Amino acid sequence: MKLPAGAPLVSRPRSRLIAGALALGVHAVFVLLLVFGMSWQTQHPAPVMVDLWEALPPAPPAAARPSKPGPAPVKAPEPVKAAPAPAPQAVADEPPPPKTPDIALEKKKAEAERLQKLKATQMAEEKARADAAKKTQEKQLAEQKKRELLRQMEEEDLTRRMADEAAASEARQVKLAETAAASKRQAEVASVVGQYRDQISAKVRGNTRLPDNLTGNPQVRCLVRLLPTGEVQSVRVTQSSGNAAYDDAVVRAIEKSSPLPLPNDRDARAAFVPELTFVHRPKE
Amino acid sequence: MNPELSQDLSLLHLVFNASLPVQLVMLLLLGASLMSWWFIFIKMFALKRAQRDTDRFEREFWGGGDINVMYQQVAAERGEAGEMARIFEAGFSEFMKLRRQAGMSASFIIDGTRRAMRATYQRELDGLEAHLSFLATVGSVSPYVGLFGTVWGIMIAFVGLSSVAQATLAQVAPGIAEALIATAMGLFAAIPAVVGYNRYTHDIDRLANRMESFMEEFSNILQRQTATTQAA
Repeated sequence: MKLPAGAPLVSRPRSRLIAGALALGVHAVFVLLLVFGMSWQTQHPAPVMVDLWEALPPAPPAAARPSKPGPAPVKAPEPVKAAPAPAPQAVADEPPPPKTPDIALEKKKAEAERLQKLKATQMAEEKARADAAKKTQEKQLAEQKKRELLRQMEEEDLTRRMADEAAASEARQVKLAETAAASKRQAEVASVVGQYRDQISAKVRGNTRLPDNLTGNPQVRCLVRLLPTGEVQSVRVTQSSGNAAYDDAVVRAIEKSSPLPLPNDRDARAAFVPELTFVHRPKE
Repeated sequence: MNPELSQDLSLLHLVFNASLPVQLVMLLLLGASLMSWWFIFIKMFALKRAQRDTDRFEREFWGGGDINVMYQQVAAERGEAGEMARIFEAGFSEFMKLRRQAGMSASFIIDGTRRAMRATYQRELDGLEAHLSFLATVGSVSPYVGLFGTVWGIMIAFVGLSSVAQATLAQVAPGIAEALIATAMGLFAAIPAVVGYNRYTHDIDRLANRMESFMEEFSNILQRQTATTQAA
């Protein structure tokens, strides 16, 4: 038996290359979209630096300067205008005579007019001059007044200053007196404190029962908390004598001495209440 | 300014700075996506052509021409005529061969013809359905592959975070972003693949139905012809 010669026909897709190109194109488009989309979103705004000013800086003087000279040019032309005003008129009037030399009357008239005008201008000038003189006089007067005023003010100032100085010196003296009084008072307080300190130590000494084994003159330092009435609240040994029995004896003596004598003076009392550092020795 | 904060989170930067497993996953997904789009376009062209050829063949077949002339035409065109034309050619050539042999019963001739047509039909259908399974696989698997890359990337980001005294968002953000790119790529590969697969299976089913109907109708025509010739 023979094998069939004609192979069956099968369709072969022929558009493979085109399909591949299209697939690549789809991916390229997608990647581009993603890349550009993401980079658009991640663009940070450039940082901006800001200087904060409490007040505006002083404006450049250029702006202020023109305003001052501004009025000056406006004022200046006024006197100038007054002076040349007659001149153009004269010039305008003069040309007609050459045109009509026969008419002497008119010429004369013109002459007269011109003279009149000249006179008028002269008078105006004189008046202006007089005005100016008056003005300068007034100005001088005003200046004098001003000077006098200034002198007066200076005098007033001086007197005021002197008064101030006097007051200050007085205050200083008062202060000095006060300080003197204070130092005096301090001395008084110190004496009172010393007095009461002695009283307290005497009272405690009277209550102290010295132990037998005590030798020498050891020092005990105690911190005593007192009520304002002088009653002992607590006693604590801050510096021991080295002899425990003696320490105890001193503590007991202080407690037994309650209430301690206290000065009535408030400043002096501050040395004892609420805490008192008490130093005790067996022998004076 | 902190360079960590000012770095640009552009896509390419993230992809190239990703850890190796995530990069491998991305490469795999890119390949899958490229292949699936390639097959999508191949199938699109092939199915368009198949539908066009089928339409044209049906128009000619039912146009009332001579069946022998049509057979000559299709045999001359060979592979160009389309799937249904090839089924017709296979069936008719088998029918001719069987009829030439003496002593063949009508039912035997028709059965042989049908077998030949069915074989060609199966082969054509196989050609049409080629690569569709790839689209199905990409569509169902690539989201998981992308998810794997994402999970791995986030794991690495958090492991890196644990060794830092002060944990800030800026330290995890690049890691998570690069990890999420893997998921995005997986979805990008999967969505067109799934759409393409569903669309093409539907188109191929319709083509197959048309071919089967044609086979039945053509068998009927051949049976009628053998009956008349045997009667005559």
